Amino acid sequence: MRMRDILRDRLPAALITFGAWLLIAAFMGAFHTGSALIAAVTCVYFISALSRFLWDVLRRKRFYDALAEGSGQLDRKYLISEVVEEPDFLEGRLTCEALREAGRSMYEDVAALSRESKAFREFIEMWVHEIKLPVAALQLMCHNDDNVRYAEQLRRIDDYIETVLYYARSGSDGKDYIIKETPLDRVFADTAVRHRAELQLRGVEIKTDGLGTAVMSDSKWLGYILGQLMGNSLKYLSPDREPEICVRAEVLPDRTLLHFRDNGVGIPAGDLPYIFDKSFTGENGRTYSGATGMGLYIVKKLCGRLGHGISADSVPGEYTEITLSFGNNDLFRPDVTKS
Amino acid sequence: MSRIMIIEDDEVLRGELSRLLDDQGHETAAVTDFSRAAEQMRSSGADLVLLDINLPGVNGEALLQEFRRTSDAPVIMLTSRTSELDEVLSMSYGADDYITKPYNPTILLLRISAVLKRSQKLRVTASYRGLRVDPAKGILADGARELVLTKNEMLIFQILLDNLGRIVTRDELITALWDSNEFISDNALSVNVSRLRSKLSDFGCADAIETRKKQGYILL
Repeated sequence: MRMRDILRDRLPAALITFGAWLLIAAFMGAFHTGSALIAAVTCVYFISALSRFLWDVLRRKRFYDALAEGSGQLDRKYLISEVVEEPDFLEGRLTCEALREAGRSMYEDVAALSRESKAFREFIEMWVHEIKLPVAALQLMCHNDDNVRYAEQLRRIDDYIETVLYYARSGSDGKDYIIKETPLDRVFADTAVRHRAELQLRGVEIKTDGLGTAVMSDSKWLGYILGQLMGNSLKYLSPDREPEICVRAEVLPDRTLLHFRDNGVGIPAGDLPYIFDKSFTGENGRTYSGATGMGLYIVKKLCGRLGHGISADSVPGEYTEITLSFGNNDLFRPDVTKS
Repeated sequence: MSRIMIIEDDEVLRGELSRLLDDQGHETAAVTDFSRAAEQMRSSGADLVLLDINLPGVNGEALLQEFRRTSDAPVIMLTSRTSELDEVLSMSYGADDYITKPYNPTILLLRISAVLKRSQKLRVTASYRGLRVDPAKGILADGARELVLTKNEMLIFQILLDNLGRIVTRDELITALWDSNEFISDNALSVNVSRLRSKLSDFGCADAIETRKKQGYILL
């Protein structure tokens, strides 16, 4: 509460007080009261008015300042009633009670919604486990019956299933990942093998460099992220040259970078800042089929949850490079003692 | 050829899994009464167990824990649970590998043979026509001479040797190479195989690798 605001707020009250004094002074003048008495009454009158004003302002100011400061600091502002001290004046107590009621009802709503979203996420996880069984059975049948024609479609189905799973995972704040030392070559080989049929069909050459290193990540989540990047590279191959995907790890003192680069059609400079936005498809999305604007959005959210950085660089008609950045530290390693 | 026990409650999947492994010359046994799974695991004497996590009335991770008290036979978890937590738990309970469904059948077979090899390493040393095979150094040796193979040639030779007398498709060979971070193309595979073939014949193993048209290669 600023003093200027308080004074402006109390201006009518001050005017009334002053008006009343004028009336009193006029009465006393009409009754020929002595000037000494008028002075005394005036003194008492204004001193009492001023002290009432000060007392009132100070006790309110304490409560409202605490309220303003508290709500500024809290990241969940609806919990404000829990942190302010119960005031000693009536309106303050009424305000406090109303705040508490509002907070409680808000909290109940939030809890109900988060229970609901957790239940939905658990259902999705369960559903994904279930649908993977027939997919796995079909994949084995394809292999056992020597029918490779269907295998690629099964891979596509499985990709879509994974997208649902990781979309659900990307939004929640539950602890459903584990950060541990993850060898990049293992994760990348799994991703490449998974997309091998399509990579070979399109004649994509794969080059790797420095993947012998390990990063702190969740291998399942990272596998999904790399799969999405590879899917994008395959979607936007350039017809003008021999397709190539180049994956390179770069170890810096404080972090490890993973550069995922293809020589596809690239991304127009105007689209580049938005490629991680939800539902953004851009110019490439209009030219090529199959863009949903969800892939990189989910990837970015997963990176956010894992604490990885992600950035994109591209020259249209030349290349697209997505760079993941992993923090390097030993805190996660139980066998390293902190000095 | 090994005896492999399958503990999987999805009937179709179980059947296809048995078929896949039978085709590879393994002998399979499947558990169908899951209340007695722990007992059957113990008494089967299998060389390898494929174990699902979500089973009716029992949890695969618990089964594994119990099994480990009495046996150190290799166990591969085969599950649709794709969380790192389950993998870390299973590995800490003593699983030898963790594979999520749906799996690439070739990869599954590779992992199975890798795990089996690891568990039998002390008993069997790999050899071919009297030559000692040393995959780590990438050499074949007959006591006097050494034949040095490149990494790719050694990988190819290893897979053919693991499937001695059986046709290995080009697809399986390429998958195996990719799985070892060697992302070679179809043409490069042909080049590697013919180089391996001529190296072997220079070393005295003539006609070791035969090409079966439209099927693959076979080591004799």
